Amino acid sequence: MTATALTAAQAGLVSCETCALLSRPADAAEPGHCRRCGATLESRRHHSIQYTWALVVAAAICYIPANVLPVLNTTTLGSTDSDTIMGGVALLYTTGSWPLALIVLVASVMVPLGKLIALSYLLISVQRGSIQSNRERTRLYRLVEFIGRWSMLDVFVDTFTVALIQLQPLMSVEPGPGVLFFAAVVVLTMIAAESFDPRLIWDSSARGRRHA
Amino acid sequence: MPDDSDRLDVPRATVVPRRRARISVVWVIPILAAVVAIGLAVQRILSEGPTITIVFKIAQGVEAGKTVIKYKDVNIGRITAVRLSDDSSKVEVTAKIDKSADGLIVEDAKFWVVEPRVTLSGISGLGTLLSGNYIGFEVGKSQKKERRFTALEVAPVITSGQLGRQFALTAADLGSLGVGSPIYYRRLQAGQVIAYDLTADGKAVDLKIFVNTPYDRYVNPGTRFWSASGLDVSIGSSGVEVRTESLVALIAGGIAFDTPPFAARPEPAAANTAYTLYSDRPTAMKQPESISTRYVLYFHESLRGLSAGAPVTLLGLPAGEVVGVGLDFDPKTLNVRGRVEIVSYPERLIARMGATQTAEREIFARSGEQRHAFLRHMVEKQGMRAQLRSGSLVTGQLYVAFDYFPDAPKVKVDWRGDVAVLPVVPSTITDIEAKLTGIVAKLDKLPYEAIGADVTKMLAGVSVTLQDASKAMNRIDTDVTPELKTTLAAASRALVTTDGMLNNGVNTTLEELRRTLTTADGVLKSTDAALLGKDAPGQQELRDALQEITRAARSLRTLADYLERHPESLIWGKSGDKP
Amino acid sequence: MTDPGETVACPECDLLQHLPELAPGDKARCPRCGNTLATQSTDPINVPLALTLAAAVVFIIANTASLMGLSAVGHHASTTIPGGALEMWLQGEMLTAVVVAFCAIIAPGGYILFMLTVLLAVRRPPAPHWIGELLRWADSMRPWSMSEVMILGILVALIKIAELATVVPGIGMYAVGGLVVLFTAIMITFDPREVWKRVEWTDYGAEAVR
Repeated sequence: MTATALTAAQAGLVSCETCALLSRPADAAEPGHCRRCGATLESRRHHSIQYTWALVVAAAICYIPANVLPVLNTTTLGSTDSDTIMGGVALLYTTGSWPLALIVLVASVMVPLGKLIALSYLLISVQRGSIQSNRERTRLYRLVEFIGRWSMLDVFVDTFTVALIQLQPLMSVEPGPGVLFFAAVVVLTMIAAESFDPRLIWDSSARGRRHA
Repeated sequence: MPDDSDRLDVPRATVVPRRRARISVVWVIPILAAVVAIGLAVQRILSEGPTITIVFKIAQGVEAGKTVIKYKDVNIGRITAVRLSDDSSKVEVTAKIDKSADGLIVEDAKFWVVEPRVTLSGISGLGTLLSGNYIGFEVGKSQKKERRFTALEVAPVITSGQLGRQFALTAADLGSLGVGSPIYYRRLQAGQVIAYDLTADGKAVDLKIFVNTPYDRYVNPGTRFWSASGLDVSIGSSGVEVRTESLVALIAGGIAFDTPPFAARPEPAAANTAYTLYSDRPTAMKQPESISTRYVLYFHESLRGLSAGAPVTLLGLPAGEVVGVGLDFDPKTLNVRGRVEIVSYPERLIARMGATQTAEREIFARSGEQRHAFLRHMVEKQGMRAQLRSGSLVTGQLYVAFDYFPDAPKVKVDWRGDVAVLPVVPSTITDIEAKLTGIVAKLDKLPYEAIGADVTKMLAGVSVTLQDASKAMNRIDTDVTPELKTTLAAASRALVTTDGMLNNGVNTTLEELRRTLTTADGVLKSTDAALLGKDAPGQQELRDALQEITRAARSLRTLADYLERHPESLIWGKSGDKP
Repeated sequence: MTDPGETVACPECDLLQHLPELAPGDKARCPRCGNTLATQSTDPINVPLALTLAAAVVFIIANTASLMGLSAVGHHASTTIPGGALEMWLQGEMLTAVVVAFCAIIAPGGYILFMLTVLLAVRRPPAPHWIGELLRWADSMRPWSMSEVMILGILVALIKIAELATVVPGIGMYAVGGLVVLFTAIMITFDPREVWKRVEWTDYGAEAVR
């Protein structure tokens, strides 16, 4: 392949994110709407870096109470036990269901943290104009986008445990305050991944080449 | 990508175009999904059972969506809604019944709330402490379907499947009985009281009882029922007798039944036969005397201590009883004398005749004339007289004794009237008093000190015995009837009187006293043995029960302790159990 | 006229031949030995449509039938998916309940609804331009429809609960499993380019580059 890589942005064209139609923008600032599907055309996702940072920080703030506050309160014959996510994992492990413990640990603790770290890394690398490992970073982004939804696992586990175990006075389960923060972390990181524009990774290289 | 010049001259692959008309096989999937969905919906509609409404006074522990209706421990329905009735005085509960139980929802079906209950017949419903209250159900016999019911306030005592028979009892008062009170036959629990109500005229109580199979076949038209509540304490010549059916009967009251041999009938009684509830066993099993003759006796002495029901004896054997004690005013002589009406039950005496004298027994049993002639002979020729005798010096009770008095003056008895007047001789009680005064002088000369010392020693012994007795009283104060208390009080009173009498110097009374004290001592000893001794049967039962309770309490405590320390063990099991 | 396509060799008889571009549903066969060389996936419109219809039915079953039944010490309980979200709401976690409802019910339901509308409309082209908007909505719903995460969550909960009570999976559970399978199938067989071909273009500002 001898031709130089040309991005649509460099060529002054805008690709519709919905239907992949390549269009000439009506205006540099206001590219207009895609003629085929009516979507608003944007060269790059609106204020991608700003929004993504805001969401990442918000998610990070929520991450602390999500892990510190209990997510499940079990009341047995009058006495209540509160469990955080880590507490639940430990309980699953000590009672012998270590596969479940592993699943919950990965999905609820490691994945959100990993997403936060990955997104921060991507943002920082883009902001520093890094031109290294473009392909790896794009793969990382794809991974973040794909894996994100699985952190919602613990929220579903909690929801259905609460819905089923209402056997007063023998045993009943209530959600704890941590659940809300945990759901917030997942939602915020998902939106953050949506608002991050992966094309920015390649823009630095394009800029570099142009100037080179 | 090869350009035209590179293209080899190769043939073209055959293109098989799609046959337009064929519907792609993928359409099977939505059709299948639709079929499954319709099948589920139809099945749910078809398996819908009826919806019913039950009206409760108060529906404790009943929650919409959770509480179930159970019949024979099987779920037959679930409560869907709980709300107040229009006038806010009752609770209306809507329930959905399973289709399979549709046939059971008939007019006289019964519903009630099952919760932990302590009743006279035991503790029930403990399982609901864990599982939550549920609604119990009992089928009715009607064929008519019904959709609106009023709930019972308590569970019906008898479930419809139970075999047995119902009877009706009439009692003077309810006593300590209640719904669920046990019915005993030979100390086995044979049934229970299921309902009671005041009679229409308010003068008695009607009880409905249920006797379970196989005991119901022992109930025949001649069976007697009596109240077996509490303790039966009787003081007789053999000492104090304490009877009770069981500890449950002691607390909860109970009824016992048996058939006296003279009233036994081979056929079992029909359901709902009415019986009288007697107050105790002797009364119930008393043979009604078929032969009885009344007589009148006139006494010129004190009748104090003689009451209706006192025995009339012939040579010491029971021959009848006193039915009336009163006064008679003779206008001619301006005399007031005691009038005692007695009734004789010759059957009792006949029953006691020797086994070899069957012929004689037959004669007396059959012929009133023979008996009458015999009585005439005894009274006129052999000097049979009635005399008041002291039944017990302690209680002061008197009874009428017929005995031979060959020295008695001859008397002419007028046998013509309805009720003959039989001749009497004065009792020896007054004799004693006369004798006593006579001996006073004699005793004046007796060595008082020596007697006094003797008596003091005896009194000391008696006071120890009395202390034991009072200790016994304190221990089982509630169990012993007041009769016993009065007995001991009378004993101590008698002793005080005796003490006084002693200071006057009375010899014969001393002897009587010694005898009475020995009897009292013996009485107390047997009370001790029956109730307080280490191996007393009543105590044994109590002790066994207490041991059971202690054991159960101990293990409950261990469980509670463990749960307190490891509450999660209820969910996750005991740590270390899992693999 | 260049016939788009490529040159191939038959894997069975090695005949070099030209494989033309196929229309949907066409099959290409080796002229010499008859071996099927290639199939063009049939009908990028009707297949996803059938699957979406099935998904709609299954979605209704999944949300109305009980997920699983639980019985312990005389207590019986069962829940549906909306029931679970409702219970969270009743327990005071209202925002979480909304999130759960969105990810488990609204997003997949919305996706199915929009896809159904789009696919039905494009059977008779040209479809009005707002169909394109609907497809855009459907696409934005897709990352938020977490039925497969939910079923894993339900399974984890089931295994946890099964230790202390008897759990019986209900029809709802199988329906959700079927829904996950159908969603995957829809995403595989759906070709948005077909839709874009059949939607009429609007007259918006930007000029398209062909």
